[in-house]
Amino acid sequence: MQNPKLLIAGVFLTVALPFGALLLSSQVQLGDLAPAPEEEGGALYPATVPGLAVQGRDVYTSLGCIACHTQQVRPSGQGSDIARGYGDRPSVARDYVLQSHVLLGDRRIGPDLANYGARVAPTPKGTQTEPEKAAALAKSLAAVHVAIHHGNTFAFLYEADAKGDFAPERADALAAYLLSLRQDYNSPEAKLKK
Amino acid sequence: MTQDNRSGRPQGRPSPGESRLSRVEAQLRGPFLLFFVSAVIWLLVASVLGLISALQLRGVSGEVFTFGHVSAAQHNLFIYGWAFNAFFAINLWLTSQLGRFELRNAWLVSLGAIIWNVALTYGALSIFAGDLNGFSLLEMPRTVGPVLAVAFLLSAFWPIVAYAQRPTGHSFASQWFVVGASFVFPLAYLLAQLLVLWNPASGVVQAIAHSWFIQNLLLLWLGGSALAAVYYFLPKVLGRNITGYYLASVAFWTFFLFAGWTGTASLLGSPIPVWVQSVGVVGSAMFLVSVIITAINFHGTLSTQSGWSLAWNSTTLRFISLGAVAFTLYGVLNALFSFRGFNAVVRFTSFSAGQEQLLTYAFASMVIFGSAYFILPRLTGSLWPSTKLVHLHFWATAIGALGSISASLAVGWQSGKQLADPAVPYAQVLTASAGLASASLIFAILFLVGHVAFALNAFGMILKSSAPAVEGRHD
Ligand code: HEC
Repeated sequence: MQNPKLLIAGVFLTVALPFGALLLSSQVQLGDLAPAPEEEGGALYPATVPGLAVQGRDVYTSLGCIACHTQQVRPSGQGSDIARGYGDRPSVARDYVLQSHVLLGDRRIGPDLANYGARVAPTPKGTQTEPEKAAALAKSLAAVHVAIHHGNTFAFLYEADAKGDFAPERADALAAYLLSLRQDYNSPEAKLKK
Repeated sequence: MTQDNRSGRPQGRPSPGESRLSRVEAQLRGPFLLFFVSAVIWLLVASVLGLISALQLRGVSGEVFTFGHVSAAQHNLFIYGWAFNAFFAINLWLTSQLGRFELRNAWLVSLGAIIWNVALTYGALSIFAGDLNGFSLLEMPRTVGPVLAVAFLLSAFWPIVAYAQRPTGHSFASQWFVVGASFVFPLAYLLAQLLVLWNPASGVVQAIAHSWFIQNLLLLWLGGSALAAVYYFLPKVLGRNITGYYLASVAFWTFFLFAGWTGTASLLGSPIPVWVQSVGVVGSAMFLVSVIITAINFHGTLSTQSGWSLAWNSTTLRFISLGAVAFTLYGVLNALFSFRGFNAVVRFTSFSAGQEQLLTYAFASMVIFGSAYFILPRLTGSLWPSTKLVHLHFWATAIGALGSISASLAVGWQSGKQLADPAVPYAQVLTASAGLASASLIFAILFLVGHVAFALNAFGMILKSSAPAVEGRHD
């Protein structure tokens, strides 16, 4: 304790060791993961999402949805995520490789959304146009959130502003993003339960 | 400062300090007050935001004050605004007490304080404007990161300088903790900024980096700084040695050695390699060693010669011994709920918020309050204006902390149990935890009341004080 150099070198190691052992080696282990086909020669998953959905992810981050929603399904030994219908298989690292900023989340005030796009009911008869779909989804967001205790129904996403201008771009993008959330494919690391 | 420690000063006890405001203290008075006043202002802002988010303003449908914004801003301002500023101040002062330390460049420190708080203001406003990231305590726009890192170095690098320049001889446990904490944070912060925001690592590696960063921030910087203060004030105010002081260096090394490995225990079940998760579990269990030793040091000291009742009657120690107990509880709870079985129940519930509050509020903030009650009268040369406000502060914050933490833990456990049973519909879980929402309103009010009482008292004292002459004050 009497030698300052020793103390500082020791403290430096206490930062450097976990950094090297946990972070660098997981980067080595996971850094090369890429989308993989479900079966030989099939389409690659996770699929690239449309540009609108990428914009929608920014809306999701910007509105702080992550404060209440996670996007990860734990294996069945660890919690009841699969039994609750959040997904048919646990999430694996490969599911996230296309996301520049992952939005795993660490708090569930609302349900997990990792498979929201896969479980949301397909629109009746398939007659809706894209903007109608978005408006419907924005309204349904308002409907689920009206019942909860934090007051915000996100009505501003789909309601006309004071001047009567209706700008549904963000609602569209958010809807496209939410519908793109799905981990319902076989991955080399996790097969769907049949 | 006399720091000739070969003179047979008892081990396990900080230097007696001088009865007058030393020259060193006079030099750091300006920066100290700058940090301290900023800290208290941010504490008030964070408490108001806490109230807003607890109020469940149904009428508010606006975008700016949406829950995700308010809770992120509140969290960041509480940590970076209140706790960081406060520990910048306290660590500087501790350094001045423990070593031959001349703060010749006080203006650099003040510059650091200004940059820190301006950048933080910008960061918080950006969060409200919707420019935020999805990782907790890294929500502020990434441009803020490097600025905060520079400000941190200007504000908090001095303890390391002082320690490196110190004449050889005895050094005290508080010093090690301050030096370690000040050294670790900027490193971890910059690396996390790099891997999570600037040059994001591949996919979920970001989450691993983030969990590692959080433990460095909460345990090593906040926890380490707070432990330094406990190691200083307990023996100082009680006028006795730390029980089992020879163990303190083991506490220090185990604390720093294991804290960095505990982070990934918060990712149990997440899509990251299983071995990374297991390392976190083992790390949290090993971390218990340092918790046990600090418990022996602190509670041992308090348990001899009616230490507890002496502590109760000293405002400083009343807060600080509460904090010391909270740290022990935190360590035990953290180890216990890193085990997969328990963790599976409480993961994603309010439980982890309760755990974090145990560390950042019941431990770190209580220690800050206690330290302020000791240091401010010395630096300002006046007394705390109102004893009533001191009592109000203590009881409001202590009851608020106890209530809020136990509610988060209990409701987290309860809703975790319900969620574990897939037959229980989600709506029922929501109604069952609605009680937490109304309870948290009461606690938010208590916190605000306590903090206003503290602020009134502190600001009253600072305004009343004329800058004391260097030789001006006698204890
Ligand atoms: C204050 C916490 C909170 C915030 C913030 C929040 N949600 Fe929710 N969300 C909930 C809760 C609670 C539910 C479940 C309501 C219910 O089932 O009654 C929910 C339900 C949902 C659902 C339906 C899920 C399902 O499985 O049916 C979607 C989709 C959703 N939220 C998306 C979002 C989006 C997008 C945002 C950001 C704009 C957001 N939420 C912000 C709490 C929140």
